[in-house]
Amino acid sequence: MKCVEREQLFAYVHGMLEAREEGEIRAHVEQCAQCRSAVEEFRKLDAVLDEWQPTEPSPWFDARVRAAVAASEPPPARVFLGFEWGRWLAPALLVVLVVAGSLVVYRSRPQVVSRPTARQEAPKPAAPVPATPVSPVLPGEADELSLYQNLPVLEDYEMLANFDVLSELPKGEKKVAN
Amino acid sequence: MAIDHDLELMLRVRRGDAASFEELLRRHRLPLVNYFARMLRDQALAEDLAQEVFLRVYRARDRYQPEAKFTTWLYRIATNVALNAIRDRKEGSPRTGLNNEGQESEIETSTIADARPTAEQVLMQAERQRAIRQAVEALPENQRAAVILHKYQDVDYRQIAKILGVSESAVKSLLFRAHESLRGRLEPLLKEGQL
Repeated sequence: MKCVEREQLFAYVHGMLEAREEGEIRAHVEQCAQCRSAVEEFRKLDAVLDEWQPTEPSPWFDARVRAAVAASEPPPARVFLGFEWGRWLAPALLVVLVVAGSLVVYRSRPQVVSRPTARQEAPKPAAPVPATPVSPVLPGEADELSLYQNLPVLEDYEMLANFDVLSELPKGEKKVAN
Repeated sequence: MAIDHDLELMLRVRRGDAASFEELLRRHRLPLVNYFARMLRDQALAEDLAQEVFLRVYRARDRYQPEAKFTTWLYRIATNVALNAIRDRKEGSPRTGLNNEGQESEIETSTIADARPTAEQVLMQAERQRAIRQAVEALPENQRAAVILHKYQDVDYRQIAKILGVSESAVKSLLFRAHESLRGRLEPLLKEGQL
């Protein structure tokens, strides 16, 4: 039988072959001095490599691993009265802030006088009839109306009628202006 | 298929069992630190990187899927970390030099001292270990990783294929070529026949 390739002998020594192939090579090695010598070389090299002894980790190795693992953990949840406050407090505060902010914005809007509905306009049988007719007020007119009512100077129509800005100016200036 | 005890432990870690993580740490700290020490020739860096691997294992506990042996997954992480560290060091990291040499010879001496040999034997064995280390270190990265996993971490070639992301036949070839190189470099030790 032809000699086995060294790579096959290496695989044979290290148990990397299928059972059938391993049996064939074993049978050959028993009869072939050259292949048997190669097998011995591989085994001898293995024995030499075994001399490289392992080393022990330092005594604080485990403690360092534990510390690193602990440092990688998120902080533990704070449970009080069976509730994880730490977990839910921030979202709850956010919701409260959003609701409060919305309320503030809503209440700070300008007040709008709503137009009375037809149902509100309907005269009640028992109610006294007002002396002057109530005219419907549009929302945009409300502020303007109250402004005029609060300006006494506008009520003095006679004073306004006699007030002439041009009369205050000198005669010459009036001509230049013209 | 035999029950993978490590895999069961990892599944318990996924369920939040801290004691199971402690057991994984106890079972794998020695092989993992030695894997890095042999790959990188720096004990302090080896411990830092082993710690990094345990941390990655812990952080990945929720995503862990028991698709392969636990050690395959563990050494895949470790090998990536080791190869990155080797590349970083090649790019000029300061963690090389005489200190590492001195540190390792001290380690070699201390491990031998436990067997209580004579001073002459200590020196001789330290010299042999240094020669082995240098021979392994001279291998290309992939061959070095394959040899260390196969020879010292007790990982079989099928697992090594998954760890390195290559075919099984490629691993066989890697290991064979590595052993041929080692045989050439360690010829004086092989001729001495002293074990």
